[in-house]
Amino acid sequence: MASRRGSSFGAARNSKGASFGDFIRSESLTPKGVQPIRTEFSQGSVPDSIYSSNRESAWSRWRRGFEIYCHSAATETYAYPFDYFIPLPPGTVLPPGANPPKIPGSFQGFPTTNKDLGMHWAGVRIAGSLRFDNVRDKDGDPSPILSVTEDQNYWYVQLSGDWSAANPLPAPLFIAPVGPIPKQYPINGEILEDRIITVGGTPINSETIDPSTQRRYGYVQAVLVSTDEVNGILTLQKQGSVESTPDGVLQTPATRPPNVGRFLMTGTRYCCSCQDFTRRDYAYLNGLGKTNQRVFPRTKVSTIKPGRFEVMRLRGKVDNSAMTSANVNRSMEVVAPSPEYGIPPTVTPNSSIVPGTLRDNPGVFRDFGATYKRNNPVPSLEGGKAEGPPSYNDYRTSTDADGNVTITSLTDFWSPLLDELRYCKHIYAMKFAEKVFPPEPSDLPVDTESIARWEQDLVLKTQKENEGASYKLATRGLSFMDVPPYNCQAPMMMPMMQKLFNVPSTFVLMSGFRMYDKNGTEYNPSQGGKPGT
Amino acid sequence: MADFGEIIDGTFFLSQEQIETRKYGFSPIKASGVPTVYHAGDVVNLPYASGEVSTMEAIGLAWGAFASGITPS
Repeated sequence: MASRRGSSFGAARNSKGASFGDFIRSESLTPKGVQPIRTEFSQGSVPDSIYSSNRESAWSRWRRGFEIYCHSAATETYAYPFDYFIPLPPGTVLPPGANPPKIPGSFQGFPTTNKDLGMHWAGVRIAGSLRFDNVRDKDGDPSPILSVTEDQNYWYVQLSGDWSAANPLPAPLFIAPVGPIPKQYPINGEILEDRIITVGGTPINSETIDPSTQRRYGYVQAVLVSTDEVNGILTLQKQGSVESTPDGVLQTPATRPPNVGRFLMTGTRYCCSCQDFTRRDYAYLNGLGKTNQRVFPRTKVSTIKPGRFEVMRLRGKVDNSAMTSANVNRSMEVVAPSPEYGIPPTVTPNSSIVPGTLRDNPGVFRDFGATYKRNNPVPSLEGGKAEGPPSYNDYRTSTDADGNVTITSLTDFWSPLLDELRYCKHIYAMKFAEKVFPPEPSDLPVDTESIARWEQDLVLKTQKENEGASYKLATRGLSFMDVPPYNCQAPMMMPMMQKLFNVPSTFVLMSGFRMYDKNGTEYNPSQGGKPGT
Repeated sequence: MADFGEIIDGTFFLSQEQIETRKYGFSPIKASGVPTVYHAGDVVNLPYASGEVSTMEAIGLAWGAFASGITPS
């Protein structure tokens, strides 16, 4: 077999040797007349299916994630824990001494050699941030699981309480329509876990023992796919579900439904700024390197696709800076190609409709034009795995009798599919750190001469690259990189923050961040707070 | 019972041996403090008392206000 360049799956036919096939840098702009059309996914005119399969392999991301986890445990980690205090609408007053509503989480930086400011930022919202023992019906009664029915693909979880059209499930499970804004279900797509036994109680984990039976409680984790607000029924998806068994073992898919009598809570939620998770290539801002070819990312005309993109503005003007003062708030405008794709539920009041909109924001990012879901939507559960081969999502069109083409669906970066989106290697690394050993994906790369040799190469390569990236940061100074929370409204980070917190973008404010320094001491950047030295 | 906001089940606390043997490139790390306070996978415990606005309610208020075109105070 011909030798491969580097140790990357899928890179053999990519002469530029990127880790994944299409993560190549933008070529320099040379407008010298019409050029022949070339695909971006291979060097031939037709993408190679084996090459594509390897490039999209979830297994290689999983394996790389473990290597990054090991490395970040052994070397310095760039962890920025925070509490995000959710801004409240005018008129909402907290009683004196009240506990504030907040979302705890952490940013983790992964030094990297091919990212603009030397760092990929992954964010995590800690499990249990949203608890269903805070969901009350009209009588003020809490809402444990009353009963569960099921069919082949879903569990239908009936929440206890008096629910009707006049008294539907409360926000944020259901937001009533207001004028042109349709019904909204912001929690759909979240991971839910039945880990709360009593109102206000500490969530159980895999090892918690039930004192009445002296056995582990166990629990189930599944994605919420739809909400029936009138009848108080939540539909959880079996595909991709995970069960913590009474033996303390995590298995997938779950063999039993969520437990009646318990309260649900949200699971750990991840986001990452890397190209693999965002499916985007953001501007290369560094002028210190050898090349300036990445300064203006754009997609070739031959492969651009319809979609939406966002623009960050500060006082009405476009502002693409990586960091700003913690006293400044930028606003996000999402541009959509037609009203029906104005992102229901809309995430910004500044959305605008521009016919013919494409997925790129040239100069800020180029979009790879598709998303990948972790869970293969096969109807059968026989041998189903949470981390099977990813499925490909793209836009769809239909053509009428007159030959007019209409876009019928868009699955770009604004699709509300967060917890089903394919994890990148950084998120896998954080899951390994979580000690929830993520299930091994079943899509092992093909056409490889030796997995053992590939893994040996990967260990050495990861060590070398991470040391190099860390060294760069150390020698150039940490001022070289962007730092949370000052970068949280950067073009690369703002969409990520909106998705991580699952609040409208107007509610992502710099003043909401309370950071924790290395000693665990809280500081407030918007009031000039700094970490301890 | 854990207190409000307490992070429990921390999974990323390094052992003393791990802290001592960490390195930065080829150099040992010389740093003070706790490497991380909490990390992915920890579980937060937020039992809100009656009359308080829970995180669940606050996110609901945010989405509801947004649908009406209201921005935070």
